[in-house]
Amino acid sequence: MERASASFTTLLFGVLLLLGTASDSLAMEKCLLCHRKHDLFKTESTGRKVSLFVDEEILGRSAHASRVCTDCHVDIVALPHSKDVKKVNCRRCHYVGNPVGAPEGDLYDQYEHSVHGLEVAKGNSEAPICQDCHGDHNVMPLDSADSKVAKQNVPQTCGKCHMEIYAAYAASTHGHAVSQGNLDAPVCSDCHGEHNIVRHEDPSSSVYGLNLTATCSDCHGPLGVASKYGIKADRAATFEDSFHGVAQEMGSRVVANCASCHGFHDILPEADPKSRINPDNIPKTCGQVGCHPEATATFTSGQIHVDPHSEESGILYYISKGFLILTASVLAGLMLFILLDLTKRARMARRKR
Amino acid sequence: MNKPLNNRMQQREKIIDQLTENLVESTVAVLPKECDPDTRKKIRHEVSDRITFEANVALNEMVTKYCLPETPREEKQPEQEERTFLRFGKNFRAQHMLMFVSVIILIITGMPLKFPELSISKFLIIDLMGGLENSTLIHRVGAVGLILVGIWHLLYTALTAIGRRDFFLMIPMPKDIKDFWHTMLYFFGRRASGPKFARFSFIEKFDYWAVYWGMIIMIGSGSIMWFKELFPKFAFDISREAHSDEGLLATLSIVVWHFYNVHFNPGVFPMSWTWWHGRLTESEMKHHHALEYAEIIEAESKEIRAGQNETDNTGGES
Repeated sequence: MERASASFTTLLFGVLLLLGTASDSLAMEKCLLCHRKHDLFKTESTGRKVSLFVDEEILGRSAHASRVCTDCHVDIVALPHSKDVKKVNCRRCHYVGNPVGAPEGDLYDQYEHSVHGLEVAKGNSEAPICQDCHGDHNVMPLDSADSKVAKQNVPQTCGKCHMEIYAAYAASTHGHAVSQGNLDAPVCSDCHGEHNIVRHEDPSSSVYGLNLTATCSDCHGPLGVASKYGIKADRAATFEDSFHGVAQEMGSRVVANCASCHGFHDILPEADPKSRINPDNIPKTCGQVGCHPEATATFTSGQIHVDPHSEESGILYYISKGFLILTASVLAGLMLFILLDLTKRARMARRKR
Repeated sequence: MNKPLNNRMQQREKIIDQLTENLVESTVAVLPKECDPDTRKKIRHEVSDRITFEANVALNEMVTKYCLPETPREEKQPEQEERTFLRFGKNFRAQHMLMFVSVIILIITGMPLKFPELSISKFLIIDLMGGLENSTLIHRVGAVGLILVGIWHLLYTALTAIGRRDFFLMIPMPKDIKDFWHTMLYFFGRRASGPKFARFSFIEKFDYWAVYWGMIIMIGSGSIMWFKELFPKFAFDISREAHSDEGLLATLSIVVWHFYNVHFNPGVFPMSWTWWHGRLTESEMKHHHALEYAEIIEAESKEIRAGQNETDNTGGES
């Protein structure tokens, strides 16, 4: 009798649910009957307690404010629902050409080929899916400061899993600037990408050794934002002209790139005594294993990013200029002489005929 | 018998002139009457030119064959009928060969690094040589070759008689400026012929000293970069700039100037073989080194005269 009554209740709820779709607020109300409670939680097989509380206020401000629970939780068709609720598949709405107007590009495809997507496909339950970065009930509109993927929140969002890197980054000049509210400074995704993140060993990665110059020069190049802060815009160009830059252009993977000297997550300005490019630390930085272990203080004294075409470089500039003038005048002279010689020969040959 | 050379040369010219005139007149005499005056004139000129040339060649040949003492032949004679003169000895030619092999190696391994973004540079370094590690090693091999040439040439200059003589002949003189000016006037039609050069013309002197300068810059800056750990970074920066710029200057000079002189010049195209056999033909000597040629001929005549004097003397005594 107990079972029959239970089935009846289920049926009744089901019918009510179907009818209820006519009224969204009513449907929400039913779910919130339980999920409004702060102390509602489930215990996962790992023993971890997961809160099942849904904050109406946050949900109301979210990008999905106009959706009802079952729009996403499609496996719930009856109440009380099974304890085994599946993870929401965002792609149900976010696909190209969807009729409900959910924003979509090729991001999902990018994600599937990213290191995160590939790990998920391999069955790694630790790897992040959409909700891990974007949030679940708190998916905020893109321009909202509350969004988990708003620029200033990206470090914390990534740091949830990449904790050690987050610590190094937070202490770096970039992390420090972002925490001060300076959004010109890069967060994780500015260097690593977002949905297309691949391992740094992958040649298609934006932080693969050979691609670093291009990635860093987005900010530290001639059009970059770094020049706003007194950092010279020729850092990438002078590197490319240096022997290191040329060797890298020729495909050398052992030669120094930006990160070899400046570090990556822990980048600090020259003046900082902890910086790898602080004058006191430069012999050590140049002398690192595999680079110039024989480096002395003599070898490393002097400017690193020098531009022979800039007058600030002193003697180097004059040597470069001098050779330019010498080469141009010598070649002009030689070519003129050749031209005169050929003209004379032609005239003589014509006369002979 | 002891008449001055000038007299003898004049005599020779006179005889040839007479011979030419006779032959020209008799040739013109047999021309058909229909021949118009212009054609006659043309034929007259042509026959005159040819007879003069042939007579000169024949005379020279006979002099060489019968009058000159036979010298021991150190060098292999090129297959030419014309008399040739040794311009560059074996030692000097070997220096040049080691030099151009080294320089070609240095250019193809070095120049791509000045233009790393060009696909030809990437082809040379990455595809042909298998990467920068190899190309820099090959560059150092070329560098050792060039340094050896430098040392070799200094020793050659100091220790051999020819080396010393040539070095002094290489020193720029006021005559070189005059010759340059003369050449300009000749180019612009203000002189009927170009200047007469001794063993080294101003062009060759320029080439030689350009290489001298280039060797000092390239070997000096290259050595600093090779042993960069011993020097402050600004020395490396300066060396790199100078090495790269002088490398380009030298390469362009070789490709434009030297290649014009020894390859693309219509007079020698496709190539002058002097680098291989070391010889110039008599006409080349007359044309390019008239003063040196005159000296050689005079020295030879003196020898002949000395020889003849000897025979005269002995003949007189007996």
